[in-house]
Amino acid sequence: MRDGDREDLELHRRLSSGDRGAFDELYRRYAGSAYGLAYRVTGQQILAQDVVHDAFMALWRTPEAYDPARGSFRAFFLALVHHRAVDLVRRESRLRARSERAANLEPVVGEDHADAIAEESFLGVQRKEVREALAGLPPEQRQVLEMAYFGGKTQVQIAEELGIPLGTVKTRTFAAMRKLRAMLEETG
Amino acid sequence: MIDRHAETQELLAGYALQSLSGGDAAEADRLLAEHVPGCSECRMMLDAFQAVAGELALDAEPVTPPDPLLPRMHREMDPRGRRGIRWTAGRLVAAAASVVLVVGVGGMAFAQLGDRKASHVPTADVQELADFALHHPTQQQALGGNAQEISARGVQELYVYGRTVPFPAPGLVYRLWAVSGGHATHLRDFLPYPDGTVLVRLAIDPSTFDHLLVTVEPAGSEPSEPGDPAWPETG
Ligand SMILES: [Zn+2]
Repeated sequence: MRDGDREDLELHRRLSSGDRGAFDELYRRYAGSAYGLAYRVTGQQILAQDVVHDAFMALWRTPEAYDPARGSFRAFFLALVHHRAVDLVRRESRLRARSERAANLEPVVGEDHADAIAEESFLGVQRKEVREALAGLPPEQRQVLEMAYFGGKTQVQIAEELGIPLGTVKTRTFAAMRKLRAMLEETG
Repeated sequence: MIDRHAETQELLAGYALQSLSGGDAAEADRLLAEHVPGCSECRMMLDAFQAVAGELALDAEPVTPPDPLLPRMHREMDPRGRRGIRWTAGRLVAAAASVVLVVGVGGMAFAQLGDRKASHVPTADVQELADFALHHPTQQQALGGNAQEISARGVQELYVYGRTVPFPAPGLVYRLWAVSGGHATHLRDFLPYPDGTVLVRLAIDPSTFDHLLVTVEPAGSEPSEPGDPAWPETG
C-alpha cells in the first residue's frame, strides 16, 4: 500500500468519528480531481459543483459507505463522484442535448493552478499510471470506454452513435476494463 | 459455468461504468443478487472493475472548485455533530418480554437468504443509502443487534442498516415483520453478510405501521406468526 493510500485510510477513520479537520484534508486532496472529473462529464461548472458538493456531503454523512476491505479510498470516492456526475448528465440530457457542450467545454473560471499543482504532487504518480494505461488501449477500445465513462453514454447509445452492434460495444468495453485492471494492478 | 462467468463479468464491466440500460441493466441487477454473491471470481472482478472506474477519474484534468464550495459544506455540517439534528438519537423502544423488537423492515433486501457467501454489501447499495440520507431529513432509530432503522417522515423508503450484526445460530434466519394494530405482516427474511453488515431497503412509508419487529426463525419455515424476538436483551 502506498503512503497516500495509508494516509487516506487514517483520514477516513478520523472523518468517521466526526473529525472536520479530516474532512477538510480529504477535500484538499480530492476536490480538484473530483471537480475535474465532474466538469469533464457534465460540461458545466454549476453541475460539477453540485456533484462535488453531493459527493463530499454524502461522505460526511455516511462514511460507513466506504469499506477499506474492498479497495482504496481514492477509487471508492472518485467512483462515487463519477456515479453522481453520470446520473446528473442523464437527467439533464432529457432536457437538452449536450453533445455540443461535451465537445466544447466552457472555459473554466476561477481555476487555481497553484492548488492544482499541490494536488498533483500527491496524486501525480497515480494519474500518470492511469493515463499511460489508457494510452495503452487499442483505439477502438479506448473510444467506447471514454464515451461511456466521460460521455456518460449507455452502451446502447454508443452502439447507435458508432453504428456498430451492441455486442461489439460490450466486447470492447469488457476487454478494455480487463486490460486496465491488469495494467493498474501491475503498477499499483 | 465458465461461460456464465464470462457473460456475467462482461455485464459487470458495463455496470461499473454505469453504462447499462434496459434489459442489460435488469440482467445485471439479477446477477448481482443471485450469482455474484456466491461466486468469488465474479465478486473479485466486480471489485476490480469498480476500482478501475474510480481510478479512471484521474484521466480528467484536475480543476480547483470555486472557493465558496468548502465553506458552504461547512455550514451544512451540523455544529452539534455529524448526525446532530437530522439523525435524531434513537426513539426508545419498549422491550417488554412479549413485545417484539423493532429493527427495520425491508422492501428490497440486499442481505437476503442465500447471499451469505457475499463478503460485502455492493457499493451501489450503500450509495443508495447515502443518497437517501443526503436528500431527506432522516431519523435514525437504534435497534437491537447493532442495527438501526433509517427513515424520513412522509417518504416511502426505509433502510435497516447495521454493522457487526450478530449471526443467528446455524439453521436460523432473521425475519422482519411490520406490526400494526397488534397484527404482524411478514416482510422478509435476511442474514447479515459475512462481515456482519446488514442493509435492507424497503419501499415502505414508515407511517403505515406501528413498528418493526425482528424475530429469529428456522430457515425456510412458513412465516405464519412471529416467533422469538431476535435481540430481546438490547431493547
Ligand atoms: Zn461467476
